Amino acid sequence: MNTQLNMRTWQRLFSPSFMTLLIGIVALLAFGSPSVQAQTTTASDAPVDSSIVLVAKGSLTDPNGSIQIQGQVNVTARRVIDTTSVTSPSIVLLDFDFSQLTGTTGSTKATMKTFVTGGNHASEIRPLQSSDVVIVSTPYYDSTKDALSARTMLVSANLTFDIATGKLTGGSISVGNNVVTAKEVGTVQSAPIQ
Amino acid sequence: MSDSNFFLSPKASKARLREAEQARKERWDIIKANSHGQVSRRDLIKMGLFTSAGLMLPISGLSPFGRSAFASSNIPTGLPPSPLGTTTAFSTPMPRFDVFPRIPVAALTPAPTAQANTTQQPVDPALGGGTGPIEGRPPGPIWAHQQFGLLPPAIAVDASVEGAKTNTTYNPQVASNMNSGINPASPIPLKFHPNLPTQQVNKVWTYNGTIPPKLMQVRYGEPVLFRLHNRLTVNQNDNGGFGMHTISTHEHNGHHGAENDGFTGAFFFPNQFYDYHYPIVLAGRNTINNTAQDIMASSPTDAGGLNKVPGDWHETMSTHWFHDHMFSFTAQNVYKGIAGMFNIYSGLDRGAEDIIDGVNLRLPSGRAATTGKSWGNLDYDVNLMLADKAWDNNGQLAMDIFEFDGFLGDRMTVNLTYKPYFEVERRKYRFRILNASVSRFFKVALSDGSPMIQIGNDGNLLPHPVVLTQLDEQGIAERYDIVIDFSRYTVGQTVWMVNLAEHQDGRRVSKDLSISEALSGNSQDPAVGKFLEFRIVRDPAQPDISQVPSTLIPNPDLSNIPVARERVFEFNSGANQTTNDPITTFFGPWGIKTDNQGPTLAADYGRISAAPKFGTREVWTLRNGGGGWDHPIHIHFEECQTLSRDGSASKVPAAERGRKDVWRLRPSGEVKITLQFRDFGGMFMEHCHNTMHEDNAMLLRWEIDGAGTPFLNPLPTPIAKPQGVTFMAPDDILPTAFY
Repeated sequence: MNTQLNMRTWQRLFSPSFMTLLIGIVALLAFGSPSVQAQTTTASDAPVDSSIVLVAKGSLTDPNGSIQIQGQVNVTARRVIDTTSVTSPSIVLLDFDFSQLTGTTGSTKATMKTFVTGGNHASEIRPLQSSDVVIVSTPYYDSTKDALSARTMLVSANLTFDIATGKLTGGSISVGNNVVTAKEVGTVQSAPIQ
Repeated sequence: MSDSNFFLSPKASKARLREAEQARKERWDIIKANSHGQVSRRDLIKMGLFTSAGLMLPISGLSPFGRSAFASSNIPTGLPPSPLGTTTAFSTPMPRFDVFPRIPVAALTPAPTAQANTTQQPVDPALGGGTGPIEGRPPGPIWAHQQFGLLPPAIAVDASVEGAKTNTTYNPQVASNMNSGINPASPIPLKFHPNLPTQQVNKVWTYNGTIPPKLMQVRYGEPVLFRLHNRLTVNQNDNGGFGMHTISTHEHNGHHGAENDGFTGAFFFPNQFYDYHYPIVLAGRNTINNTAQDIMASSPTDAGGLNKVPGDWHETMSTHWFHDHMFSFTAQNVYKGIAGMFNIYSGLDRGAEDIIDGVNLRLPSGRAATTGKSWGNLDYDVNLMLADKAWDNNGQLAMDIFEFDGFLGDRMTVNLTYKPYFEVERRKYRFRILNASVSRFFKVALSDGSPMIQIGNDGNLLPHPVVLTQLDEQGIAERYDIVIDFSRYTVGQTVWMVNLAEHQDGRRVSKDLSISEALSGNSQDPAVGKFLEFRIVRDPAQPDISQVPSTLIPNPDLSNIPVARERVFEFNSGANQTTNDPITTFFGPWGIKTDNQGPTLAADYGRISAAPKFGTREVWTLRNGGGGWDHPIHIHFEECQTLSRDGSASKVPAAERGRKDVWRLRPSGEVKITLQFRDFGGMFMEHCHNTMHEDNAMLLRWEIDGAGTPFLNPLPTPIAKPQGVTFMAPDDILPTAFY
């Protein structure tokens, strides 16, 4: 293919400024420059998996009334080391399993409603740090209706990690109303005339 | 924003911005020299200008990533921001796709033929002169359209790839009030925003040379002949600095014969055409429901009824795209604009929400009774092509082809328009979201955290809809079909689509942000945050009768199909090239190790890495061999089912439990899938769809063994030339490829 032309050919085609640039670069190379190494994984770089089960509790203000949310959230973490990264060598892949979270409202059998999350998970990539606050949203809806009726709640997870091992060591989870709802819906602004 | 990231802040010192711009210009000389064929990437790596891991050596004055005299840290500093001038976000409407006209096959001259048309024509001296065939498809029986007599094309699309020009024939197939007031009769110059400069003819290459991007609408049981003319410049030096003027179009992820798959080595030259024959058939058509008795396997008629078609209705597909697949130039060519979308309609996914017949899922689309179209209504069925772009100081599209980690743009576009708005009614809409970036992953949410219903993943409707408030990360080439119900808003309100996935480089997402974090404006990644504004402008004229049924398309049952064998593909850096063919090989930092044997190999489309037997089912493991990278891996030809992630079926997210054709492996991750090889034969590909990785050189060829006459074992490799395609024996056959 024509990207593989003979070097003697292309040298003649280069502009003088390009050749000057190349010569300068080669000279710079003679003094040695850092080079990114090929990515390799050793035993100490191998991914580290860990998980914890956290009990979540909270209440939501909803058109159906106050909804009490509770249940277990299984949080799994995989620490991965990027052997070529300068800025963030260790990252954590998190998975939050919200499938066991349920909510109830109403005080009598006649008024009681159950809310579910639809088996939702949330997957996140985060830099590894000793403690991290991860805020995700997840849907919930009346278990007798379909997902189109879903509304949103916020889940705030305070997680702690052992930096040395990369393992998830503890944490807590709280559930509350989706606070971005009100302020992140705007009003139509007319487009300027182009 | 600080200066410590991929793109410099506009607030960086003027001296720093000048320095970075100067570095970009000087680097541009090398990029141009490479794209003009004066020097290859292999040569530059040998010369030490680039490391085998891809990063241009950080030399100040050459690389924008070089340590700056002005930088305050050791972190590589970035490119100057793409200038916006007076352009503001959400100040121009998002154009709907431009729908390709469907024409009679008889209108094509010359008439399409089963084997490539080898009628000779003069070849431009810039391409070597002499004469060559008018069609660039490899000649002879192996590259003839399979089952051309059985599935003759019923309609045709006649299109081209060419340089940027004004669109005077825009046809969105919806009324202006469904297209944010855009008047289709007004010429559309090729600009990313009305306030930005018009792109020069060879800075942007697209289908038909125009924007908006093109949409092909097809239906099952109606084979399509897609005639694509290469009208790019014959002189590669006129490429606007990057991009290759030879092309090959992949219909991603069509279940077609290999001759229509856009094989990376089956490219064609300026002044040639290539006839792609898309039969639009359900997989399994020769073994399942082969006499077309099942009404669930059906295609809409123009009169509102259904035609039964052979095949497994569980294999029904919906949302594809098509894009260039030129060997080692896919990233450049797709980034230049050679990409469109491809909606497939069926009895199930009709594109007519008011037809009630027990088959139609009645997903949001539009009413046949209103539009007179019994299928393919687009009023409430909207294609979104997300892509990050960058432009130079003159506002012309710019790319850094040597950023082997992955190239990131700093400006978000939707349908090739910078941060547009889209007017919607208070009702349900379907959005077919395509990630058409080179290397960027997205994670989409609504600004108020409201739920979205994911109904499709890649080409396929899911078994069941999944309600989400933030979609999973979306890798390059993945398609997510979602439904948003705007009836929860009031007229006059706005809500935005937001990107939560923050990058520091093209390797992977560095951090997933919460909605509040993404909206705060504190991210150093300019593509994080709001990128599309929805304006709720009115109530629908008619009640919304569309549905999102609780069951969509269940997965095909493979339990009675034995697994013929398993294969393992490991995606690594530090690849070796064991063959030296100057045409079919490429050298780059990326590669694939097959079946745990031998070295990680850089791409050679003359090498056969796998050859599953026709009519069988296999299980493939896709493994990310490295630590902190992500690779969205694409397998051509037939949709697959995901069996497990990291060894566990329960780790497969609900929105991935349908069929798929692209998998984000995730850092250090592993995905196990199962797939079948049936209906057609030929050679196909598997590769990373971070197209910088694909081009450098994380791609392999596999082929179907035993597909019968005329296929050979092994298949010869096509060698494309303007004077005619020749063939050669495979360079290499891996020991585990064949049985």
